[in-house]
Amino acid sequence: MAGEPLPTSTPPSGRTSREPSRARATAVASRYARYARLLRTQIRASLLLGLQYRADFVLDATVNVFWTGAAILPLVIVFQSRASIAGWSFGEALMVTGWFTFLEGVLDGAINPSVADVVDHVRKGTLDFVLLKPADAQFLVSTTRLQPWRATNVLSAVAIFAWGFHLLGRAPTPGAVGLATLSMLAAVAVLYSLKTLAVSAAFYFVRVDNLTHLFDSVFDAARWPSNIFRGVVSVVFTFVIPLALMTTYPAEALLGSLPIRSLFGALGGAVVALTLSRAVWNRAIAHYTSAGG
Amino acid sequence: MSLRNTVRAFPTLLRVGFADAVAYRAEMLIWVLATTMPLVMLALWSTVAREAPVGRYGQAQFTAYFLATFVVRQITGSWVFYDINFAVRNGTLAMRLLRPVHPLWAYAAEALAAMPMRIVVSLPVAIVAWFVVGWAGMTHDPFLWAVWLVSIAGSWMITLLVNLLIGCAAFFLESSLKVMDAWLVAFFVFSGYLIPIDLFPPRLRAAVEWLPFRFQIGFPVEVVTGAHDRGAALALLAGQWAWVAAGLAATALVWRAGLRRFAAYGG
Amino acid sequence: MIRVRALRKHFDVHERPPGVAAAFRSLFRRQTKRVTAVDGIDLDIAPGERVGFLGPNGAGKTTTLKVLSGLLHPTSGEVAVDGHEPRRREDAFLKKIMLVLGQKQQLLWDLPPAETFELNRAVYDVPREQYRATMRELTELLELGDLVNKPARTLSLGERMKCELAAALIHRPRLLFLDEPTIGLDVSMQAVVRDFVKRYNEQNGATLILTSHYMEDVARLCPRVVVIDRGQIVYDGALEALVERTRPDKRIVLRFAREVDARDLESLGQLVRHGAGESVLQVPKDAVNGVVGRVLAELPVSDLTVESAPLEEVMSEVFARGRGSR
Repeated sequence: MAGEPLPTSTPPSGRTSREPSRARATAVASRYARYARLLRTQIRASLLLGLQYRADFVLDATVNVFWTGAAILPLVIVFQSRASIAGWSFGEALMVTGWFTFLEGVLDGAINPSVADVVDHVRKGTLDFVLLKPADAQFLVSTTRLQPWRATNVLSAVAIFAWGFHLLGRAPTPGAVGLATLSMLAAVAVLYSLKTLAVSAAFYFVRVDNLTHLFDSVFDAARWPSNIFRGVVSVVFTFVIPLALMTTYPAEALLGSLPIRSLFGALGGAVVALTLSRAVWNRAIAHYTSAGG
Repeated sequence: MSLRNTVRAFPTLLRVGFADAVAYRAEMLIWVLATTMPLVMLALWSTVAREAPVGRYGQAQFTAYFLATFVVRQITGSWVFYDINFAVRNGTLAMRLLRPVHPLWAYAAEALAAMPMRIVVSLPVAIVAWFVVGWAGMTHDPFLWAVWLVSIAGSWMITLLVNLLIGCAAFFLESSLKVMDAWLVAFFVFSGYLIPIDLFPPRLRAAVEWLPFRFQIGFPVEVVTGAHDRGAALALLAGQWAWVAAGLAATALVWRAGLRRFAAYGG
Repeated sequence: MIRVRALRKHFDVHERPPGVAAAFRSLFRRQTKRVTAVDGIDLDIAPGERVGFLGPNGAGKTTTLKVLSGLLHPTSGEVAVDGHEPRRREDAFLKKIMLVLGQKQQLLWDLPPAETFELNRAVYDVPREQYRATMRELTELLELGDLVNKPARTLSLGERMKCELAAALIHRPRLLFLDEPTIGLDVSMQAVVRDFVKRYNEQNGATLILTSHYMEDVARLCPRVVVIDRGQIVYDGALEALVERTRPDKRIVLRFAREVDARDLESLGQLVRHGAGESVLQVPKDAVNGVVGRVLAELPVSDLTVESAPLEEVMSEVFARGRGSR
């Protein structure tokens, strides 16, 4: 929020200190503390903003629950006629749906609002205000428009997992939960990177909202286990938008059937995606500032 | 707002609306490309039907069903809601209210004017569908094709009226966008867009058949894929147009109430 | 043309207290507050008049405009515009008026303005012949040239405003409401808009009601101003008379051939500014002649002009007085 006072700038670097390395460590720590404070402020502002629209709040919650139900209904109907599809039983497929619900919450609650924000900034030429603030621009644009209500998706996801494991008649091992969390982190990182790439495009072509719309409609296919798709569709879903990595891997990890090689692949992919998107973002900002908005 | 004035202005409204749709052709193409849901569902159901058909649907029937779904959705879709919502929110509706033509008629004209462009953009898919499916998955009865045409008009009307109705909700609600979201969820699930209505569990199916959603997508698709005989198709057509009438009445009521509120608060 | 009696307009607005906890509470119980935007206005405007509405933000100017154009329904009071009751929004009434909002546009964003003109022709049911004549005239007066064939989104703000005006006048409205028509325009474009609007008024005998933050607009266009503050009319009459009444003092702007000591000037009147280039003296109206004579006789004057106080200052004083008296 423009009106929020920003925390004080970082303390002077270790040059004047007698213990340079420790001073640097404190500086880094206080930098992180500063960003944590900033994040808290931004979440608070988003919360206040959300509360202003009470009809929205009720509808949001309803739509969320409804969407979750909607996501499962086709699954229920499909599995009415078959016990297993492409190697997935109903309970197992629910894991994929659960992670999809979770990831959708992340996408709608944290990533997409920021994307809309940046596109807006570029179109109106107000990005300058963001660039002038004494904090990382990517951090700022990624956190200004959080929608805390989307946390309800996490609850829905947990409910779906519980239902799935109840049907399977077992519980996930702690190790499986750990691996699933790890591969979910990779999924979020890749999703965030792809969106950052899309946003960077906004600096070159102004109308990227349609592009992101296209992205979202493809992402919707991630609610299904990836191996039901064949042919061209599966190629697109593997290389252009890695849907398998986003929901199927975490689901397999939770079930304890994810090959360790795939997990490493996902983590490696996440690191590459983050690095690449950060580089492209920086280039795009440089392009924006040199072009004079 | 006299009807006479509106009727005389209508051809120009249509022509300008068409020019506007042409200016948006790139966006339209993206929206067509973004309509991946029927294709994803097609992939899914094909996998399911590979070993044995589901209900009356084998792989070929599923292909015909979802390609027809795609075409019906393209032709009957509407984004008028977003225009109204925007106009109410930023106050440009005031400009439209000061014109001697009813704003809802103007919006209807814009929606109608976008139709040719929508048909052009979805034509390639229709042709591909015809090549892939041939006549096998489609009805051969010319009478049913005539019913299909009327049902497309009905489904276009229901979609437009829903857009107008929820657009008018912007007068009362701070963000009618969420109402549209909620409607869209129900629409996706219960219209036959994701799952053919006759695959629903029997009890749910009975309920879904009474709701308006099915008449937006499922009904025209069922007619053209030959799911109904003539009698049944006509009965359903009557049901569809009953919903059109209900939608007209509701829209008129909500518009009037909304306008009163707009005049009291200034939007 | 316009007759308004005892016009009142209330709004019920929701109050949004600050803080998370309070926001949570207001989820369930909302407090509303009654805001009076217009509080008993009487107004008569004759055909062909050019009237400027002045007032600080939120004074009720735009609300009054919207009531007059039929967009808002009055809470109480009588409003008649050329024999119509605006709130009924009859076709005959709508065809007589036009509202131009400087901050909002009616041009179709992705199409050339020519399409909007054509649309308005159909909507206002303007005969072809008349439309062609009007278009010829507007194109010449506003120097539209081939602007009308470029998509509206590619036009500059000034070019867009010109087309916006043209689109508004295709049906030759007899009553024109202009709400901040020059906002954001550069000085030369502001002049173009002003001149055009004035000419339209003179040639067609149309009535004009203007609100603007630029005093220059009002000073150049409106012989009559209506000052609205807190929903009430605090002044209705000629602009000069208002200036005279509020700031009877005149300002003598002086340039000297060589430097002059400030003390020499202070004895003549109130010294508003004293710099290297020019000095400004404020003196009572009656004293102007005497002071000018003395200045010319005693000081090395190279240039001298007599002015009224700047309009902006006059207005802020009018509003400040309004506040003080309550």
